[in-house]
Amino acid sequence: MIEFRQVTKRYDSDHTALRQVNFHLDRGELAFLTGHSGAGKSTLLKLIMVMERPTAGEVIVGGQKLNSLPRRQIPYIRRHIGVVFQNHQLLFDRTVFDNVAMPLEVMGASPDDIGRRVRAALDKVGLLNKEKMNPMQLSGGEQQRVGIARAVVNKPPVLLADEPTGNLDPELSADIMHLFTEFSQVGVTVLIATHDIALIDQMNKRRLTLDHGRMIVGADAPLTGGVSGY
Amino acid sequence: MVTDSRQKPEKRRGANRGRSPASNQARSYLDHHRKVAKDSAQRLWRSPVASMMTWMVMGVALALPVALLLLLGSLQGVSAGWENSARITAYLSLDVPVEQARELASEIDGDGRVLSVEMVDRDQALAEFRVSSGLDDALDFLDDNPLPHTLLVTPEDSARSADGVQALVTFMEGMDAVERVQVDLGWLQRLNAITDILARAVWALALLLGAAVILVIGNTVRLSIENRRDEILVAKLVGGTDAFVRRPFLYTGAWFGLGGGVVAWVLIQVSLWWLNGPIERLASLYQSEFVIHGPGFDGALALIITAMVLGWLGAWVAVKRHLDDIEPGDIAGG
Repeated sequence: MIEFRQVTKRYDSDHTALRQVNFHLDRGELAFLTGHSGAGKSTLLKLIMVMERPTAGEVIVGGQKLNSLPRRQIPYIRRHIGVVFQNHQLLFDRTVFDNVAMPLEVMGASPDDIGRRVRAALDKVGLLNKEKMNPMQLSGGEQQRVGIARAVVNKPPVLLADEPTGNLDPELSADIMHLFTEFSQVGVTVLIATHDIALIDQMNKRRLTLDHGRMIVGADAPLTGGVSGY
Repeated sequence: MVTDSRQKPEKRRGANRGRSPASNQARSYLDHHRKVAKDSAQRLWRSPVASMMTWMVMGVALALPVALLLLLGSLQGVSAGWENSARITAYLSLDVPVEQARELASEIDGDGRVLSVEMVDRDQALAEFRVSSGLDDALDFLDDNPLPHTLLVTPEDSARSADGVQALVTFMEGMDAVERVQVDLGWLQRLNAITDILARAVWALALLLGAAVILVIGNTVRLSIENRRDEILVAKLVGGTDAFVRRPFLYTGAWFGLGGGVVAWVLIQVSLWWLNGPIERLASLYQSEFVIHGPGFDGALALIITAMVLGWLGAWVAVKRHLDDIEPGDIAGG
């Protein structure tokens, strides 16, 4: 579902965020992306989202090479990728319902369809009774779950999460990880960037580790002498 | 699935919603437009003072050239009315006898371009002059009648253009017995020349003010783009196309235009109402029926539609300039 082939991303001549990264995630696979801060985790996620283009190598999502993707096709790719952010990126000028409905609205779904699917997503994250509230009235954990509902409301085949448990206590973090596991069980490819090592150890899932832009754990063909994580 | 992402978005949308018919898609597209239009209008209502100020600026900028155009149109109406009543006066030589003058009159009357010819013979002319000039005594000192026979020629409708009248003048000037041909259109030509210059000046002013309106709306929309930055970022992140992100701002521009057009119309109507009394008085002093005509229903509609198009254009300029700058690239942190 997600494949990186010899991907290098260089920002300036002196700053290389990713160096020849190779890895491959199957349909329904859940993996953690770890590494020190500045190791290139966000860059890797941005390449999948086509927020950035690789300097060299190929990024393939769902069989589609993203390198040569025309700019105006980018929105259609993003409709197949749900993203959860550490800071939620929720809009406080509208209700929980309207926040979750956004991915469906940009697709031009009908109001009936939107109502049905938004409620299904909110039900999934256990917030069905809060659809009319403003996200500002919710706790941090609830806000994060609204973010997750928005990411999965249009049933994307790929789900990315950038530090989704960064601000949450361990119990809430476990809840959210449980949700992600459930999504992967129904065939969604889930990639979670985090440096919550305790959580990763507890989950016993595949691990991709970046160090100064090199994938030292979990790569398809290890380029450095790193130990394979699974 | 991602694999088919090169398909047209409409097709895929349909597939996602389980083979709904095309009419359903069209309806939800229209629903979306209606929703965005309503939402942008409500946003303007929610900040009434700021919106009103923008409407006023637009209104003033539009009312000025439109008012000048109306004035110009009325002036051109005046000169058109005068052109219709154009008459050509032919003075015959002093030695032409009355009989020959009559013959000449009927000859000219026979011309296809001439509607009627009125002959004023020299004795009649002197009598009239005596009465109207008040130079009764002075005229008694003259030995001879200094006035010639005169033919007053009214052209046919078809010959009442500037060229047609000129052709008639040349035709009559070619006659032996005719001493001089006069068309009293000089002042009219001067008025026409002045209104031509005015017309160009007004159009230039209209263009400048139209550009100003576009810039004002562009700047206002730029601010509203900045205010809605987060929303734009999220819309782009979840796969909103450029058209989707642009749409609310284009509607905002059009609504600014609508308000500006209505304000301009009100300003024009109020100024007309305020000016019409004095203008009537002035016109009556010149024995003219000159009035400034209002824009009417068609004019008002054209004004408002033009204003909406200008607002839309302004929004488009702002959107083109600033929306591309907002990319979700930095949203995900380091």
